Amino acid sequence: MDAVERENQDRQKRWAKEQKVGEGAYAVVYRGREFSTGRRVAIKKIKVGQFKDGLDMSAIREVKYLRELKHQNVIELLDVFSNKTNLNLVLEFLDSDLEMIIKDRSLVFLPADIKSWMAMTFRGLEFCHRNFILHRDLKPNNLLIASDGQLKIADFGLARDFADPGFKMTCQVITRWYRPPELLFGSRYYSSAVDIWSLGCIFAELMLRTPYLAGESDMDQLKTIFRALGTPTEQEWPGHTKLPDYVPVGQFPKTPLRDLFTAASADTLNLLSKCLLYEPRKRLSASEALHHPYFFAIPHPTHPSKLPKCTTQMAPRPLGEVDGNVDMVGSGPGVKAAAPNKGRLKRKITSPLDDPKTRSIARKLDFTKHVKSP
Amino acid sequence: MATKSNYGWLQGRTVRKGGHASSNSHTRSNTPQVQSTSTTIFGGGIKDPSGRTSEYFSMDDQCPVCKSDRYLNPKLRLLVSSCYHKMCESCIDRLFTLGPASCPNCDKILRKLAFSPQTFEDLGVEKEVAVRRRIAKEFNKRLEDFDDLRSYNDYLEEVEDIAFNLINNIDIPATEERIAAYKAANAALTSLNLQREEAEALALKEQEDLERREREARAAQLAQQEQQEREERQREERELIDKLETSQKDAHKIVAKSRIAAAKRSSARAASSSANSSLLGMSFGMDYAKLLKTRTTKVNNVPDEPHVPFLDDYYAYDDLYTVRAEGYDDIISEAVRRDREGIMRAGGYKVEEAWNRALLTAVAGLDAAPLSGLDEPNSLGDVDVVMESV
Repeated sequence: MDAVERENQDRQKRWAKEQKVGEGAYAVVYRGREFSTGRRVAIKKIKVGQFKDGLDMSAIREVKYLRELKHQNVIELLDVFSNKTNLNLVLEFLDSDLEMIIKDRSLVFLPADIKSWMAMTFRGLEFCHRNFILHRDLKPNNLLIASDGQLKIADFGLARDFADPGFKMTCQVITRWYRPPELLFGSRYYSSAVDIWSLGCIFAELMLRTPYLAGESDMDQLKTIFRALGTPTEQEWPGHTKLPDYVPVGQFPKTPLRDLFTAASADTLNLLSKCLLYEPRKRLSASEALHHPYFFAIPHPTHPSKLPKCTTQMAPRPLGEVDGNVDMVGSGPGVKAAAPNKGRLKRKITSPLDDPKTRSIARKLDFTKHVKSP
Repeated sequence: MATKSNYGWLQGRTVRKGGHASSNSHTRSNTPQVQSTSTTIFGGGIKDPSGRTSEYFSMDDQCPVCKSDRYLNPKLRLLVSSCYHKMCESCIDRLFTLGPASCPNCDKILRKLAFSPQTFEDLGVEKEVAVRRRIAKEFNKRLEDFDDLRSYNDYLEEVEDIAFNLINNIDIPATEERIAAYKAANAALTSLNLQREEAEALALKEQEDLERREREARAAQLAQQEQQEREERQREERELIDKLETSQKDAHKIVAKSRIAAAKRSSARAASSSANSSLLGMSFGMDYAKLLKTRTTKVNNVPDEPHVPFLDDYYAYDDLYTVRAEGYDDIISEAVRRDREGIMRAGGYKVEEAWNRALLTAVAGLDAAPLSGLDEPNSLGDVDVVMESV
């Protein structure tokens, strides 16, 4: 037995695998425990041997970036070890996600709660951007909530580091409802501003308790955005007509955000509008957002331990429902290049309050094409 | 609504529900209700909030005494005696005009004045309501009149007992005696509570009046505002037309000018109306405070702290380098900087981010302590440099 194998075995011994939580085509998720401390963890076993092309892209991405990131508001990858032909990722165990909380109609959100969640999300995202990593799949069900109320960004299956000048990136990232217009127009050169748009959508969703810009297809998504925020002019967003997939979608007038967010304060709408600016370079950066007056205004953000928690217990997910494209059967429109990961499997349990109508629509949307991102 | 008096001798105003103005009531198939404000000889019945007594009324009504029914006499009105037997108005007139007489059903001595209109179809309910009303008038003690909850509950139990006896005709003389005894013992307190109730009712009414007046004032103000606006608009139009007639200037310019002026005025109006609506915001704030309070009592009491942008001790290394404001002339980013099509700019790509990254990675960790200084190996293995925070 060589040194590498021994090291690997030592690591494996630290973690106890308990019951299966879910299974996908390329990964199985177990609940687990650390032997020495009894700490709860989630162990994601990735089946390697079955794939011709080797390891799944999103697994590589997840390991690559999570290994580098350690922050209060980013999910922690505790360990990686291999076992026969499988790769095992040991991740922090988290009880619920923001989507479950948004959908739980029994919970009442105070403005201070929303402020607290947004501050935590921006902190997590700022940490990623500070380390030159784009998340590229921010949405409520990728924002997990720990038992102490801390919000953690998870699912780095679509993440990548900032591109070097002149290098193309794929535009088929980010779940449709949270995808910024520059990606919908097929831009291959973009920046951290794409994640900020997603956060803007999440911010609005927290206030509305329903997805803000829910388009039924990529085309419809643009239409939905323009209907909500007005068609951008050349002045507002210089050069957008030159983007590869630019199509004129139609002229829609600008309606003030105030019309929809009637109860929001002026600060709130200011931050929201700056996250949802058409011109990506003018969009707020995560660190600028954290210094926005909205966060300093009264009421103070709710202490994480006092934030509303999901009342519905997570039931073990029926295994029949889990397949390789777990993301796609979810309640949101899937990201095409996505593949299941531990967090997602664990979170896939849809709450009983889930509206079957929206779900069926969401299901219809997906499986359109399956484009791999680089 | 018809205010036609079907019951002329009652001088009462009769209001029919549902707009049935006709008096040929036998054409109705359902059982509508007749409401009467009869404050004349009959005192009973249940009054609705507007002060009217609603009367039970059905097509199948028949006087048990003279067997006359609604088909023969559309104006038939049945009243209830104090022994809870129904008879029609003409029978009452016939039997009791000459003074007290016995009830044709149960031989109880009745007077003409002791008949009351019927509100409920079921006479049992009618009786229960009447009994409870009577009891409530006498037995009006409150929780604060008792030393403890226990004795108050005992009192309520006793009241319920008496009411039950009266409703179901159990031991009537004994029960009446109990009531009389109670009345004698508590006369002072009863009258005091009666006064209190009246005062409370009055206060409530005043409060309602105040609210109503406020609402009316607000509506009047709004109407006035609208009227003003309308007049102003008309005046503007007239002025504009006059100006166009008389002035030598370009017509377009005049129109544009007046438009700007109009926009200014309307924005000023909007500002003043928003100042008015601040009152509304205050009440919302109170609601919010209440909600907040319920929340804080429910869960632990960790105070909410003011926002701090970064909770980790983050060091940006920005004192170790500066990014040149005019950018860099590097070969790699040449295409991006030129960006002939403008698509990189439109997509939001920032070459500054790449420069920043290059500079930061060049200087980051220059003064970091060597890794061997770490006490315990990181869980991911001590060969990796982990970007750690918090």
